[in-house]
Amino acid sequence: MSCEIKSKKRAGIINPMVTCQPAGAQYASIGIEDCTAIVHGGQGCVMFVRLLFSQHLNENFDIASSSLHEDAAVLGAVHRVEGAVDVLLERYPHVKVVPIITTCSTEIIGDDVEGVIRKLKKGLLATKYADREVHLLPVHTPSFKGSQTSGYDAAVTAFVKHFATKTDECNGKLNLITGWVDPGDVAELKHLLKMMDVDATVLFEIENFDSPLMPDKSAVSHGTTTIEDMQGTANAIGTIALNKYEGGKAAEYLRDKFEIPTIIGPTPIGIRNTDTFLKNVSKLTGKPIPESLVRERGKAIDALQDLAHMFFADKKVAIYGHPDLAIGLAEFCLDLSMKPVLLLIGDENPNYAKDPRLLAIKEHAEFDMEVITNADLWELEDRIKNKGLEVDLILGHSKGRYIPVDNNIPMVRVGFPVYDRAGYYRHPKVGYNGAVWLAEEMANVLFTDMEYKKDREWILAMW
Amino acid sequence: MPYHTFECSKMLPDREKHAVIKGPGEDITSALPLGNLNTVPGTITERGCAYCGAKHVIGTPMKDVIHMSHGPMGCTYDTWQTKRYISDNDNYQLKYTFATDMKEKHVVFGAEKMLKQNIHEAFDAFPNINRMTLYQTCASALIGDDMDAIAKQVMKERPGVDIFVCNAPGFGGTSQTGGHHKINIAWINNKVGTVEPVIKSKYTINYVGDYNIQGDCEIMTDFFNRMGIQVISMFTGNGSYDDLRAMHRADLNVLECARSAEYICNELRVRYGTPRLDIDGFGFDLLAESLMKVAMFFGDDCVEKAKAIIDEEVARWKPELDWYAKRLKGKKICLWPGGSKLWHWAHVIEEEMGVKVVSVYSKFGHQGDFEKGIARCSEGALAIDDPNELEALEAMKMLKPDCILTGMRPGEVAKKIGIPYLNIHAYHNGPYKGFEGWVRLARDLYNAIYSPVMNLAAIDISKDDFDTDTGFKTRTMLSDPGVPREELHTENMYTGKMDIVTPLRGKKYDFPAPEPKADAVV
Amino acid sequence: MEMKERIAILENYIMQRCLWQFHSRAWDRENQNNGILGITKTMLLGEQPDISTPELKCYWVDAKCLADGFKTKFPWVNEMGKEDIAVMMDGLKERIDYVTIHGSLNEELTVKLY
Repeated sequence: MSCEIKSKKRAGIINPMVTCQPAGAQYASIGIEDCTAIVHGGQGCVMFVRLLFSQHLNENFDIASSSLHEDAAVLGAVHRVEGAVDVLLERYPHVKVVPIITTCSTEIIGDDVEGVIRKLKKGLLATKYADREVHLLPVHTPSFKGSQTSGYDAAVTAFVKHFATKTDECNGKLNLITGWVDPGDVAELKHLLKMMDVDATVLFEIENFDSPLMPDKSAVSHGTTTIEDMQGTANAIGTIALNKYEGGKAAEYLRDKFEIPTIIGPTPIGIRNTDTFLKNVSKLTGKPIPESLVRERGKAIDALQDLAHMFFADKKVAIYGHPDLAIGLAEFCLDLSMKPVLLLIGDENPNYAKDPRLLAIKEHAEFDMEVITNADLWELEDRIKNKGLEVDLILGHSKGRYIPVDNNIPMVRVGFPVYDRAGYYRHPKVGYNGAVWLAEEMANVLFTDMEYKKDREWILAMW
Repeated sequence: MPYHTFECSKMLPDREKHAVIKGPGEDITSALPLGNLNTVPGTITERGCAYCGAKHVIGTPMKDVIHMSHGPMGCTYDTWQTKRYISDNDNYQLKYTFATDMKEKHVVFGAEKMLKQNIHEAFDAFPNINRMTLYQTCASALIGDDMDAIAKQVMKERPGVDIFVCNAPGFGGTSQTGGHHKINIAWINNKVGTVEPVIKSKYTINYVGDYNIQGDCEIMTDFFNRMGIQVISMFTGNGSYDDLRAMHRADLNVLECARSAEYICNELRVRYGTPRLDIDGFGFDLLAESLMKVAMFFGDDCVEKAKAIIDEEVARWKPELDWYAKRLKGKKICLWPGGSKLWHWAHVIEEEMGVKVVSVYSKFGHQGDFEKGIARCSEGALAIDDPNELEALEAMKMLKPDCILTGMRPGEVAKKIGIPYLNIHAYHNGPYKGFEGWVRLARDLYNAIYSPVMNLAAIDISKDDFDTDTGFKTRTMLSDPGVPREELHTENMYTGKMDIVTPLRGKKYDFPAPEPKADAVV
Repeated sequence: MEMKERIAILENYIMQRCLWQFHSRAWDRENQNNGILGITKTMLLGEQPDISTPELKCYWVDAKCLADGFKTKFPWVNEMGKEDIAVMMDGLKERIDYVTIHGSLNEELTVKLY
């Protein structure tokens, strides 16, 4: 049995499974209270990313553009950043944090974002906005490097570097860097920490992305991580970054710069990874894992046990998505006796081939498996349509929806973006509750598929 | 000049002339906003870029084409699957999109070689597709790759394939509109006249500026075909690449969205003498007149057929339109599209559905679009060019509309302040063109405004007194409170099928035999 | 009814209903206004318009709808004498030219290219 980890062979992309770095930086930026980013580039780099967020979360998020035009592309466009900062600050009096997110165009023309920030600090901020707390920070996310994943990582690092401030006192809190997750995940993580009686600084507090429609019409969807929260990360008792590739660098920075005890990973998808997460929390905080979580875990295992060897065992699964998510899902599938035969990761990173989780899978998988990095969705579709790959289930986001639709394969939507299923952002993929949700989603789409295809559907009628 | 100043934009001199209110006695010589100018950075505009105007809006609806963008994957990814332009070939153009995956090394050393490899790979992956559109992005424009040269090389190496290159980088122009322009001109310069069509009818048109959102274009081409008119090409909804290369052979260009496609009609008029006829595919009255105009251009047999279609359609659908109109009367809407619906709907939606258009805006319209929109909308309407987030919010709070007709994301902003929205970029349950389509719009508008769910949103259970005597509200309980059931005539609520487009596909039509043309090259 | 008032009514009808007067450039609008309003006038005067080219035929299509619309929506048009109709149509043409060309605020009308 073999497990190969290799890069896509083709030069190009047929149906991309990830978008570019600025989108990741934008997703991080909306997690911070009083923060509105300015994306330094063409308007499409913002307009469509905002639409993506809307498609996924059914909410609007404000992000500004420096509106790069032809002249600027030739002569440089830092003056448009200057203008944008002033206009944004003046019209949005609550805004305190303004990351300047670069794109391919402004990186190629070589605009000096650090320079313009220095100039604005000395000029505009020191004069017109002298009485106001404003933080400008550069986030370099050229679109021709990495992906939304590394863009998210770069932005979290930029925020932490900018804000983390050492004081004399430890704040007694745990830093929890979640990576690119949904509001349902943050709610679940906070629930686990509450059970553990642990006070945490969550980067980022995005529970509010799922915001209400209130009678007084006041609700706005935006993250609630504050400047103080980020400043305090330098004085925490420890840091846990759940995702190695989305926030891991920021955790390393806090460890190296402020000697914060730090654990990176694992992504708490599935029972074992959640167990490890709780153990790590316990290790860093000294708090014991309470009986209530033993019960919660027990309920989850009880639910999984009803499904695993009856319905999941030996089912072949193809998984695509963010690296930490995809790896976490693969690990969970293995625990459920499934066969994750194909794993697609949408970008390139020299660490993927060395990732201990992937190496462990490689060592122990009892079936043929492929891990493709720098992958596009054609890697999956081509195998299914033209190369004889048979899978029973696909786990991935909505951009790949025509693969299951055209090939009659059941699929659970998971990852970003999900726009062809209702409310998926609300449900956790992490923690014990996430494990239950994922497993039952998988079971229910398999059941529905059995009924549609009249494939031994009577199994479901007689228990 | 009746310019309107938003509180939120008082400090922006550059926004002074971008909003007007059409006051009593005003016309477009006194009330017209500026348009198609660079956006003020930092305003949080709704505008996109020229690349998306070219690739996403106009290029991609072409259905039998590999649509490849030369740049990093994000431009392709972000504009993929965001608009409902369907096609009758199983939506190939929605399902597949191609990016050359430009990386840092390409930015430094050039990306022409990898572009070529990309093109070959794409054609290899889809051996049945021999046509390609190739779009420039900011990155490929800035590094200066010669995409035309590469396309030519590949066409030599792979006989039978044809590649169209569109150089419309994201920064090229004020918004989407820059890309609309560039792709129009590139298409006529490079592709029109390179294919001779099979002429099946005495009467031929190009149907231009419809992108087949939820089947709009197929509804209209069904009418034309039933009138005996051959639609040589659709620019570009449900359009075929080779058909569009034969645009020069049509007798008439029938133009819907002049904003995105007037350029090609103008050039076809200059270069080939094809007249341009602007029509309205929306609204009973305007649509009927539009069909008649097209028919009259060709002859009495065509006119007879058009009349029969109109009589049949109006008889079938008017009672249902009227049912909704009665209940929509006096409701206020903001008509906030990207471009053309600003004028297509401004007047006829008031006339035929009774709603009042209290505001029109356009993200990327030019002054010509506002001339049409403001000429058509009624007194008191607020017209906004390149609106930004705060201005739209301020307008909604000032105008208190019952529904806003806009895109998905601004719709989410409206939802939070208790205003329902209707998607007029991708539609809720279209098509909205055609007589039945217009009823579907009325139905969707009614369903949005009289939504029992939104009706609940305003209630504060901690403070308000609220009904406890019923477990539900129907739409008619909200639209017709107290009216006895038998007087509601609910049989006139929309009775059409959910899918009205698929049944049109594969229909056979009779065309009057073509006359040999003196200038036709066979 | 004063001539001015009649013209204003017809102008309003055109502006709310038609699109032909809004072609892209000033020269297009001149051609459109001349062509369509010229043929409309001819038809209202009971004369045969020249529709011998595709261009003229296309003007005629819009003109025919306009003339029919005038006659059905505004019955007083039918009662006017030829001289009055000519004066009215000349006045209307002048107004439409003003609103769409000479008095237009549209800064793109004079752009050289499409």
